[in-house]
Amino acid sequence: MDLLHNLYTGFSIALTFNNIIYCLVGVFFGQIVGVLPGIGAPTAIALLLPLTFTVNPTSALIMFAGIYYGVAYGGTITSVLINVPGESSTVMTCIDGYQMALKGRAGAALSVAAIGSWLAGTASVILLMTFAPALAKFALRFGPPEYFALAFMAFGLLTVFGGAQPIKIVISTMLGLLLATIGLDVVSGLPRFAFGVPQLLGGIDFIVIICGIFGVAEVFNSIEEPEEGELIKQKMRLRDLFLTWEEWIASRWAILRGGIIGFFVGMIPAGGITTASFLAYLGEKRLSKHPERFGKGAIEGVAAPESANNAASISGFAPLLALGIPGSPTTAVMLAGFMMWGIRPGPLLFQTKPDLVWGLIASMYIGNFLLLLMNIFLIPPFVAILRLPYTIIMGFIVIFASVGAYSVNNNLFDVWMMLGFGVLGYVMKKLEYPIVPLVLALVLGRLAENSLRQALIISGGSLFIFFTRPISGIFIAAGILAYLTPVIRWALKGLQRPKVDTA
Amino acid sequence: MWLAELIGGVAVLILGVAVVFFSSQLSYYSEFEPGPGFLPLWVGVVLIGCAIFVIINILKKHVKIGTFFKPRTKLGLHVLIIIFITFLLLPLLGFSIGLALFVGITMRIMGKHRWVSCGLTAVVTAIAIHFIFGHWLSIPLPTGIIGW
Repeated sequence: MDLLHNLYTGFSIALTFNNIIYCLVGVFFGQIVGVLPGIGAPTAIALLLPLTFTVNPTSALIMFAGIYYGVAYGGTITSVLINVPGESSTVMTCIDGYQMALKGRAGAALSVAAIGSWLAGTASVILLMTFAPALAKFALRFGPPEYFALAFMAFGLLTVFGGAQPIKIVISTMLGLLLATIGLDVVSGLPRFAFGVPQLLGGIDFIVIICGIFGVAEVFNSIEEPEEGELIKQKMRLRDLFLTWEEWIASRWAILRGGIIGFFVGMIPAGGITTASFLAYLGEKRLSKHPERFGKGAIEGVAAPESANNAASISGFAPLLALGIPGSPTTAVMLAGFMMWGIRPGPLLFQTKPDLVWGLIASMYIGNFLLLLMNIFLIPPFVAILRLPYTIIMGFIVIFASVGAYSVNNNLFDVWMMLGFGVLGYVMKKLEYPIVPLVLALVLGRLAENSLRQALIISGGSLFIFFTRPISGIFIAAGILAYLTPVIRWALKGLQRPKVDTA
Repeated sequence: MWLAELIGGVAVLILGVAVVFFSSQLSYYSEFEPGPGFLPLWVGVVLIGCAIFVIINILKKHVKIGTFFKPRTKLGLHVLIIIFITFLLLPLLGFSIGLALFVGITMRIMGKHRWVSCGLTAVVTAIAIHFIFGHWLSIPLPTGIIGW
């Protein structure tokens, strides 16, 4: 009954005229961002965040959430029609989606992506409604040791999901932690790494860093390596969007499996929507009776990753809302938004701000439905956006990043800092140092340090407090295991290597 | 790319040493709890360790993997210089005109658009920045000598 009451509260907020407009703007903008290669959800939200200082937090979050899951829909269009993923989460869709388009089934590929995303997205919202409050209730038992252990585990999981070079992931995480320590220390009141610069005493604002590292850095990366592809010119009639019976039979279980994988991967700190789509595709290929069809236009190869990325984008809100821990760069940026509005996400959020939480969750039903309609009836206008010259898009990014950085403290120092972080982000990407660990460590750095200090005060300086409490013990053990994963992988590789006969 | 990777590793090493040096000047541990120097010191130590690992790995390999400078890197550098000059001129020109000029110039240099299109886009951009950010969103952007 509680659930129905909460849902009623949520819909009464999400269905106000104002919030419907914010939701529509969010999903529309998200769809555009998804279509445009070189700009992703974290960038878009980071650039818009400073402009929402005065907006009602619930409305702003409804819009940002719309951008997040809208991006997952929009990226599909370019993946299918020009073989260029508009988003990293739609990389796997390129493989079979483009092949389907070459065979004249572009409409079916886009259709199954939209339907799969909608079904998995809606199911994910239902699961989120039941799971997030339970997680929040469980998290009420968390004290400083548990929060430190959770952050420790999240950093460890980055080495599992973050990419091929774990050592660079650790370096990137350390850079994020280092940036988080700049400014006055909250306990002692002493300045750290401020070097007498008054603007640094308050620390470097998260918005300044993300506007540079996501916004401006993407400009340089896109100039250097433009993602161009040839648009498949195929006249698409409404009936081309309908799936054949065989296609529906082939894709229905893929949607279900993709949705389940996406939901659970999205909730893991550092899991994210890209990993979800990747795992869903691989899982589907492994389970298929005809794996040889994958890569040649198998509809399951579109249905599974598309369902997974949408489900993950929604389930990613569970750790953010219930624990205050972001699972992906986009939710990390949203956490910065919460901080900007003076709201602390976490277990108490469900009690202190039920209108925000349930309004946001209810808006996801509306947003997903709007996206389904957009992706069936409005594909041509979105394809037309691809003709927009990149120089203009680039100009918009620089304008939004500059104004965003300036508006934080109304000074030009932040604008210069933003440019500096833009160059840092560009160089890091070129040298294959991942950005995501830096961002997550930056957001969680203060929480981790403060929790560590508080935990040690409680224990009288003993580190055993992290191991003797069961929840923090499990998190620490999982974190250690995650950090050791590269070593375990390396050892297993060595064992599996065939012995060379030297005789 | 090999050299760039090596320079990257050395830069991380230098950063790590600097972090250890500066954090050692802060108190490491006070009664029962870590002091302000605790976390940065360990961050510095881990950075040094990782940097040494990266450098050794690069020196051991010594193989060419891709190139740092690509054919369009120069174009990116041009845009960086234009942004740099734009930011220098922002106190003088103001946000609306400064950023609008940036859009017009990059359209001309990068996109090879006609002067008329670039000029028109710049004018529309200046008006849009002034009214959207300055008036609608009430962000007190610097106005420069022209007062816009």
